[in-house]
Amino acid sequence: MSRHLPVAGSLAEPLHAVGARFDTPDALIAAVRSIRAAGYNAVDCYTPYPIHGLAEELKAPKSLISFLVLGGAVTAIALALTMQLVPSSLIYPLVVGGKPVNFSGLPQYVPITVALTLMLGALAAVKGMILLGGMPRLNHPMLAWDLFAKDASRGFFLAVSARDPNFTLEKVTELLETSGAGDITAIHLEPSDDE
Amino acid sequence: MSASTSNETVTPDLSAIARPPQVLNNRGPLWVTDAVCSIVEGKTPLWWYAAISISGTFAAIGGACILYMIITGVGVWGSNSPAFWAWDITNFIFWVSMAHAGSFISAVLFLTRQRWSLSVSRAAEAMTVFAIVCAGVYPAIHIGRVWFVWFLFPVPNNYGMWPNFSSPLLWDVFAVTSYLTVSSLFWFAGMIPDLAVLRDRATTKIRKFCYGVASLGWLGTARQWRHYESMYVVLAGLTSVLVVTVTTIVASDCATSVIPGWHATIFPFYFMVGAVYSGCATVLTLLIPLRALYPQLKDLITPAQLEKVAMLLLMMASCVGYVYVYELFCAWYSGNAFERGAFWERFHGTAAWYAITCLSINLTIPQLFWFKRVRTCLPLVFVLAILCNVGMWFERFMIVTTSLLHDFLPSAWGNFHPSIVDILTATGTLGIFFTLFLLFIRFVPIMSMNELKAVLPGTQPQHGEGH
Repeated sequence: MSRHLPVAGSLAEPLHAVGARFDTPDALIAAVRSIRAAGYNAVDCYTPYPIHGLAEELKAPKSLISFLVLGGAVTAIALALTMQLVPSSLIYPLVVGGKPVNFSGLPQYVPITVALTLMLGALAAVKGMILLGGMPRLNHPMLAWDLFAKDASRGFFLAVSARDPNFTLEKVTELLETSGAGDITAIHLEPSDDE
Repeated sequence: MSASTSNETVTPDLSAIARPPQVLNNRGPLWVTDAVCSIVEGKTPLWWYAAISISGTFAAIGGACILYMIITGVGVWGSNSPAFWAWDITNFIFWVSMAHAGSFISAVLFLTRQRWSLSVSRAAEAMTVFAIVCAGVYPAIHIGRVWFVWFLFPVPNNYGMWPNFSSPLLWDVFAVTSYLTVSSLFWFAGMIPDLAVLRDRATTKIRKFCYGVASLGWLGTARQWRHYESMYVVLAGLTSVLVVTVTTIVASDCATSVIPGWHATIFPFYFMVGAVYSGCATVLTLLIPLRALYPQLKDLITPAQLEKVAMLLLMMASCVGYVYVYELFCAWYSGNAFERGAFWERFHGTAAWYAITCLSINLTIPQLFWFKRVRTCLPLVFVLAILCNVGMWFERFMIVTTSLLHDFLPSAWGNFHPSIVDILTATGTLGIFFTLFLLFIRFVPIMSMNELKAVLPGTQPQHGEGH
């Protein structure tokens, strides 16, 4: 190792990523650009609030959540109509309050269908956000880095994963230094408690 | 033409149309984090213990009354022929309606990019969730034999029991369930990044663990934010639909019947505007003291934002006033003797004071908000907002109960007197509401820090080259 980087996690464990901290969103975006231009794709950014344009710089794919919501909503419509029509119109047709039990009585099934559509749509949206975002999880290698674990709400962090095929510690450190990063740290995994 | 005008350099004065600042005194994002987190992290103030012991006592008495009612039977309530629906359904509608302003403020105003609502939306959503919880107390217990409540749900069973899906009362079950689910999700999902901030700042192991689990391991990666923002817009859209559908369905409980005073096509609109009106009043009732008790909130919840809530209240109250007049006009214009009789009785009968109190409050008090001096005097707004909610409770009672007192058969006309159990159950729901709200203040960030920080000046990239 040519440079002496501060280390987070355990040195006996493999390197997870090189992390750096930036003071402004502009500096972060500039760094993302230069690092991606150098051919590193396994880059992730950690910000306290959504930064406009950051996902585009990282070439993150468009969120699939709207499709999941559509799926949830269509399922709900099918489910709600089956649940109501099958017993009320097919199995036990019973006229109550003069409301027809054949298909001309469809409007009476609308309110419950709407309510269930909204409910399953919302559940799909939140579930999608949680699962697509890699949650829920109780720990993360990045949290081995004390500065990040304590200050994620203040700074703008960037990590280049060691799994990137082009990854070399020296090259990445140099790139980060030239883009004005502070607190560049080698983040190693923590020893697992399993054995 | 163009040559002559181009010589004059006109610098338009944009200050008049500029947005009022989101956060006063040029506070930065770090200050926002510290200010909001300090409420949760600081020492529990003495008033909080005092307040929660009072509200908790009321909630416990309410719970005891519910238990007593379940053990003894609905006879312990004042509800009796002809008013089979009285304080139970009045309070149910009162609470479920109040919830709507929270959804309106956090969803509709979010989609229409009304930034001023960001500071108040989290608290308004919390109010929504807690008000639905209070509303949810009633439907299950008012059926009398609460152990048969599963009849309301389409549970496959071998008794041949199956709900009547064409009944508005069953629509209610689904509407309120979906409203509670969606608004809780909206509230919780919006809170995940802020809970992660509390996790990162936590100093004790227990706090770190609790907030760590609650925030689901949120790290704020660009990908997470992308999905999060996408989800938030979708949820806001779904919640906006709920603002309209839930009150519509609740209004159908009354409107699809034939009772004079209930059977009106304006009911969905009537219930919705009344809902947002009473909810705005509740938001003001909660936020004005909160702002006074936590001085660091003074720059975050600005008088200009509270003034806008008051304006929204005024608009909705004016719609409510319009419906009162419309209803009376329709009763007269319909030429229907029963309809006319019901409305005549509403203002002349034994229960006239309910309608008179309702109209005299709801037609006058909110109209004071036309005056800027009234809107900006926060202690006055606080008192007027409480009065507005009193007026709205009387409105719900007027609609639900006084209509039942006077229907088609003169031999079935009657009166209603609440029992002590009725009254204590109602104050019990108030206790539940305030207890939940006090817990909310103490344990979760009461303001959406991430949304606020994202719109503060200078927190977004300047997009120099390439944009």
